[in-house]
Amino acid sequence: MIALEKLYDRIIQRTNINLRELKFDVSPQIEGLIPLRQLTKFYAFYGISPNHPIDFQFRHSNLSGSYFLGKCKVTNSLLYKSDIRGDELKKEGDSFRFGNFIIPINGDESMDIQNSLLVKTLVHNFSHDPETPDIFYIRDTVSLHFANIHGSPSRGCFLEPFSTVDLTTMKDCVIGAYSYVQAGEISRLNIKPGTVWVRVPDNFNFMYQFPSEQLKEYIQFNKGENPKGLFMDFVNARKGDFQRVFETVNKEQTVVVPDSASLDRYAVTKSENHINENVLVSQRAFLQNVWLGKGANAQENSIIINSRLERYNVTAHGAKIIEADLGEKVFVGFNSFLRGQPNEKSNSRLTVGKGSIIMPHTIIDIDEQLKIPDDTLVWGLIRNKKELEQNSVSITEFEKVDSGYSKGDMVFEGNGANFVAAFRDRINHILEANGAFFDGKKNRGHAQKNQNMSFNTIQPYPEGDLEGLYPTIIIQP
Amino acid sequence: MNQLVKDLMVPISEYATVSKGATLYEAVLALEKAQEKYDQTKTQHRAVLVMDKQNKIVGKLSQLNVLRALESGNEGTDHIGEIEKFGFSTKFVANLRERSRLKDISFRKMCIKPAGMKVEKFMKTLSENQYVEENTSLDVAIYQLMAGPYLSLMVVRDQDAVGILRLTDIFLAVVDAMKANKANKAK
Repeated sequence: MIALEKLYDRIIQRTNINLRELKFDVSPQIEGLIPLRQLTKFYAFYGISPNHPIDFQFRHSNLSGSYFLGKCKVTNSLLYKSDIRGDELKKEGDSFRFGNFIIPINGDESMDIQNSLLVKTLVHNFSHDPETPDIFYIRDTVSLHFANIHGSPSRGCFLEPFSTVDLTTMKDCVIGAYSYVQAGEISRLNIKPGTVWVRVPDNFNFMYQFPSEQLKEYIQFNKGENPKGLFMDFVNARKGDFQRVFETVNKEQTVVVPDSASLDRYAVTKSENHINENVLVSQRAFLQNVWLGKGANAQENSIIINSRLERYNVTAHGAKIIEADLGEKVFVGFNSFLRGQPNEKSNSRLTVGKGSIIMPHTIIDIDEQLKIPDDTLVWGLIRNKKELEQNSVSITEFEKVDSGYSKGDMVFEGNGANFVAAFRDRINHILEANGAFFDGKKNRGHAQKNQNMSFNTIQPYPEGDLEGLYPTIIIQP
Repeated sequence: MNQLVKDLMVPISEYATVSKGATLYEAVLALEKAQEKYDQTKTQHRAVLVMDKQNKIVGKLSQLNVLRALESGNEGTDHIGEIEKFGFSTKFVANLRERSRLKDISFRKMCIKPAGMKVEKFMKTLSENQYVEENTSLDVAIYQLMAGPYLSLMVVRDQDAVGILRLTDIFLAVVDAMKANKANKAK
């Protein structure tokens, strides 16, 4: 255990050095939050498939309960129940477009995690940093429960629970709980909880700020305390179901899965679920009485209950959908929380019209029936019709915005049509990557490539000074 | 002889000070009083020093900080200051501010709420680079001012604050030096 304690102190110190200019001290924030004893309890596992290049290198780290896929190196780090998913990394021969540059990729990209502490964090996608197109690095960074580091190289950052940094290189930043940042490049920013910020310089800039008191009902993070609120209660209520899945060696699949679809063996399914062709259900996803149309997907940490999602729906990482009916091609962004009520109880299900975009980190939590019209852009906190009116706009209307727009606590500067086009492109890319458009021959994606994957488990030293540390392990083809 | 910081600094005793916990109104009155007492031939003070119970300086309240208080002390525009750091254009923010401004509120009314707010909400704490020893030569202090850049430096003797070195006083010293050089050349 001595080595583990030293490692923990070293990571905190390195992160603090980076954050000194923000006068931010990580130590009191996470004191007692991660009992090191807990880190010795769980095995780590990695996936092997012919579709993903393999190069796992684990050195002087704890990997407890974490999952690895694709090429990744982990050095001097503590990873607790995190998903390091390298199935979208660039491959040799690819090219990466940045502004007017087309950057050739001369070797397979790999993830490189050093001196970092990641707790229940998802790392996915690929580096969007033009200066390091072949390394998706995470260094001197601490991230907490259900944070998403998506295509975002990071150095010296602290991410609070349920925060997401997407397609952004970040340096020396603090990202508040339930904040979403997609801004290309950020440094030395302390972003307060509940900030939703999407910016492409010289093109558009979208920002929404959650009302802080109301947000606390859903997620609240105080230093030295476990995160609290409805989100945590909701996730913790399903902890036992996941524990059973991880403890079972040979899991018997009760759901009928078409040949072109994929249901991960580390996903939880309960009651009757219907999965159509080209559907992707990722590890740590939870389905209970769900109908998924062709090409729909449920990504890591998503929870879907008593709901019907028509074809080509995207349920992004960490999104929750309860008692809802979603039309065709609805996008539900990262960590969004959509909750209707059972019909038999109060006739207050949630309906989302086709083509709608539910922005990342949106909360829709209703006690009365709510119907969101087709092709609507939705953001913020919505608990009734009045708040829907304040926090949504028809996409057609928004496309006409040519300089600026504001509504409620949302402000937007730039070209609305470009903003919508960027989202639509992104949604199409996600569907494409997930294999939603597979026709039996062409357009294979994760739903087809991630089938029949093998999983191997690895374990730490069980006792002594090195207790909890994993021996150096290098796994190559 | 080389000029030192202590030759140009304004002694701390001539500066306006308030205690931590004072209101903004008390601070601006203190500044007004200090300006009245100050030698009219010199450049006026533009800041108030905030002291703790041990009479140590804990922050500085500038005229700009007071203006900022008008903004954050009034609902309707307080959140707009926040968005400036997120890359929105100045024009867009100004437009937003104009639209968010409380309707039918006079300038005088805008000053009511901020007047009762505590100075520590708006004062700026000094960083390590804003302190300079009294025996430091002026050219070194100029470099320190430019590196900030800062409008003034806190002058210390054995860690106790003894004065303020202001940009404006250094500028006047530069003008005087240039004039003297010119005069010497003419001779």
